[in-house]
Amino acid sequence: MNGSKQTPARLARWIVPRAVALAAALSLTSAAAVPAPEPIKIGVIGEASSVAGASITAAAQMAADDINAHGGVNGRQIEVIVYDDHSSAADAVRAFQRAATEDKVSAVIGSYISEVALAIEPWSGRLKVPFITPGAASTDISKHVHDDYAQYKYTFHGWLTSAFIAQSICDFDKDTIVKDFHAKTTVIMSEDAAWTTPLDARYEDCLPKAGLKVLDHIRFNPDTTDFTPIFNKIEGEHPDIITTGISHVGVQPTVQWHDQRVPIAMDGQSSQATTSSFWKDTNGDAEGVITATAAAPGVAVTPFTNPFTEAYTKKNGVSPSYCGYTSYDDVHIIADAIKRAGSTDPDKMVDALEKTHYVGTIGTVEFYGRDDLYTHALKYGPGLVTGSFIQWQNGKQVTIWPRAIANGKISFPAAIKTPHS
Amino acid sequence: MNHLLRSRLLWVTAALVIVAAVLPWWLTAYILGVLTGAYYFGVFAMSWDLLFGFAGEVNFGPTFLIGLGAYTAAILDNAYGVPIPLCVLAGALAAVIGGVLLAMPALRLRGPYFGLVTLVAVLLLQNAVVIFAAVTGGEIGMTVPNVLSIDPRVNYWYALAFLVVSGIILYGLSRSAMGLILQASGQDATEAAALGFNVTKHKLAAFCISAFFSGIAGALLVMYMGAASVGTVIDIALGVQIIISAVLGGRRTILGAALGAVALICATEALRPLGQWNTFVVSALALAVIIFFPDGLLGHVLRAGERE
Amino acid sequence: MTTALQILVDGFAISAIYALAAVGFTLMFGVSGVLNLSHGGIMVIAAIIGWWAAGQLGLGTYGGTIVGILAGLAAAYLTYFVVVRPIQASRKIPREETEIFLLTGTLLWGIMIQVGMAALFSDNPVTIRPLIDGVVNVFGVRTPKNEIMIAAVCWIVIGLLWLLINRTRVGKSMLAASINPRGLTLLGFELSRIYFLVWSIYGTLAGIAGVLLASFLGVSTANAGQLTASAFSIVVLGGLGSVSGSLLAAFVVGYLETITAYLINPTLRPVPALLLLVLVVYLRPQGLLGRR
Repeated sequence: MNGSKQTPARLARWIVPRAVALAAALSLTSAAAVPAPEPIKIGVIGEASSVAGASITAAAQMAADDINAHGGVNGRQIEVIVYDDHSSAADAVRAFQRAATEDKVSAVIGSYISEVALAIEPWSGRLKVPFITPGAASTDISKHVHDDYAQYKYTFHGWLTSAFIAQSICDFDKDTIVKDFHAKTTVIMSEDAAWTTPLDARYEDCLPKAGLKVLDHIRFNPDTTDFTPIFNKIEGEHPDIITTGISHVGVQPTVQWHDQRVPIAMDGQSSQATTSSFWKDTNGDAEGVITATAAAPGVAVTPFTNPFTEAYTKKNGVSPSYCGYTSYDDVHIIADAIKRAGSTDPDKMVDALEKTHYVGTIGTVEFYGRDDLYTHALKYGPGLVTGSFIQWQNGKQVTIWPRAIANGKISFPAAIKTPHS
Repeated sequence: MNHLLRSRLLWVTAALVIVAAVLPWWLTAYILGVLTGAYYFGVFAMSWDLLFGFAGEVNFGPTFLIGLGAYTAAILDNAYGVPIPLCVLAGALAAVIGGVLLAMPALRLRGPYFGLVTLVAVLLLQNAVVIFAAVTGGEIGMTVPNVLSIDPRVNYWYALAFLVVSGIILYGLSRSAMGLILQASGQDATEAAALGFNVTKHKLAAFCISAFFSGIAGALLVMYMGAASVGTVIDIALGVQIIISAVLGGRRTILGAALGAVALICATEALRPLGQWNTFVVSALALAVIIFFPDGLLGHVLRAGERE
Repeated sequence: MTTALQILVDGFAISAIYALAAVGFTLMFGVSGVLNLSHGGIMVIAAIIGWWAAGQLGLGTYGGTIVGILAGLAAAYLTYFVVVRPIQASRKIPREETEIFLLTGTLLWGIMIQVGMAALFSDNPVTIRPLIDGVVNVFGVRTPKNEIMIAAVCWIVIGLLWLLINRTRVGKSMLAASINPRGLTLLGFELSRIYFLVWSIYGTLAGIAGVLLASFLGVSTANAGQLTASAFSIVVLGGLGSVSGSLLAAFVVGYLETITAYLINPTLRPVPALLLLVLVVYLRPQGLLGRR
């Protein structure tokens, strides 16, 4: 500042006329130039402090960048607006409301926690904003759409619903654990959460049909930190394998399973085990853990899988967790729907989304229709999306099923006793 | 001097209320929603300040009372379809009963023990809600079929009206004879007792009043949001925010608590683009305020007035 | 029979860690009158930094453990200088309200630690590799050797602490400070040095507890609040300011929880201890071994 005393009033007298002139000049120039087409805004709600939630937003941003590099959608760029919901349903609803009414997004991709997705769902209907969840699994999400189509049609389920996750695990068990390892009994171990209620119900139904008798069914509080009593109880019942349904927990039960040398293998769904940082977080105790997932490094579920995995890992230092794959696909699916609909009108978008036939990183994406039980859920089956199964071996996720894309064989660490051995 | 100050306070408050009342014609539905929540929060904070600022009792679990009010109203509406005003009243009653059950033995305890009991009460209520999940919806929470209104402006005015009425009553109480006795017992219980006042009876009364308002506010909040869950009405973190609001606004001013609550909610919302870091920044700011301006925002202004 | 033995062994390990966490907390209150509600946060810092040093910085398990304990110590100092001392020294806060401000201040500080650490390291639980790997047979119960080592370390540390307080001059001056700070100053002791010592001991205890917990069960930033509440409850149960009381209460709570988890239902684990706490506070508010 120069030495002379500048009182606020004198300063104002100096600045104001110049500011007005500058503003006028700018507005003239911008009015003269052709205005850039308005970007298409997509809101992404994720849990920034959780590994899975962080992958939702990172993958979505990558997808937007990819689409924009290829010219955007109908000449319009995609703009991703990120919201952190602090793993709270109330915060997520607030974020959704803000995205819809303040930031005026055309669609929202949100959360891998079923409780959060279920809280957002009615608001997508009230505010008429299409909403896809890339990771939540509860069957209620799509059941609501089936039961009250007019109100809930704006919600789509971007990952396999719990019932199909369980079915895929039963199919996997029948083809490998039962066939090759002669397992006959199992204990179900799952966290008490919205997504596991339908999961466990399906487990109880399909596991016996796959050849595994269910000896017991343990549901524990998601805030559990000490799993010793649970493992001791399971061991006392001598099952051949433990079928898991865990997402909120993962590191702690796995580490304790290893430290206590529990001699029973674990397979099923362990969401935290789907990301590459899991090996580091468990200090390698994940050896031998099997989980269902969307895709894994090194395996081409579709021609798009590997390029995405490599690019994501290069940028973020870890491989995408299962909802990273789906989030990446969901942005493309939304863009594709907008292109086909020719507009961002919510009802037209819903019509276009229902007709989705998109080859993404996880398989070919189609949604169930109005007359199906799980309306707007991801279609499950060969040729569509089946998910894949990985086992942690020596620090790597080895894909062991479906056999067509497997790049390794199942191998259990020495401490595990299977009937075969 | 005091009289002049009070009436200045009166005019400023009246002006603020009028401004707040006309905001719906200027603001978007979303921001109105944020403010509506903030006003209910303001009542939580004011009820807490009556108890703490005056009776000197640190209640670590205001959410125990709020939760009782909220869940009672929600269960009645959900299961029996009771009309909303009755639900709210029932919620208030439940909170008062719960408050009395908690306070009567607890007020005999001194120092941190009272605080601990209130904290444990919250934990027990949380566990009870989870255990009786069939009725309460467990950790996921429950939705309420009837809401106060679906118009954000109407909801906003309801909340504002409730805030103003509660503020007037609570402030009036704090300035009344009872309030002064409470203040005396809060600062020096032995001396107050020596002067012949029944300290315990007055503290119990303060607790009941605090519970009453907390209960109503909790019930109304549920009726506004259309949902109740452990995370929104029985969380310890929520209790912490209430305490911070009251201290931030200025203890023993009642109105300061409402101010602090609105400021806290608006700050958190304004910092939303920071993502994960907004809670950190707000907490850091609050910490700085209580270290450097322990009298709080309003308290600082009032004390400065007194020193003139 | 096996279940009873399992409960015995499992409960012992968890009680030992509870005891270590609680002893530091009660010492802090007893000597300097501070109820540090960011206690869980300090343990979390020790655990996460320990994990980070062991794995990411490549220092190995032992190196990581030591770094973790030092991190706990540093966090304790930070807490003292940033939060506690300004509040205690402030002239604007009336004497009788210092306690409230300390509670609120340390509570806020605890939230800052939790959110800050989650932003830096994610809220995923972290574990420190066992210092001794492998399992051993104890009364027919297959027990990880690490678990036994943890219990042993806890008791050794507690024993050392007892020696420090009761047998050394420095320790006795701490005890005296808890009873009559002013009297001590008159005798020529520097109170600030004693407070510094208490915070050093506190930080070390919290650091060790955090690191051992990470090794035994795993720790995440989401546990911070729960760890503080747990330590607070145990300390009140045992008697605020009484070290032996905290030890006793830690075992009572540890075993109550373990028995509930094994015999009743893992979901109801925290409930009996909470109910006991309520009973004790109403019937005998000074705690099991506290002095009125």
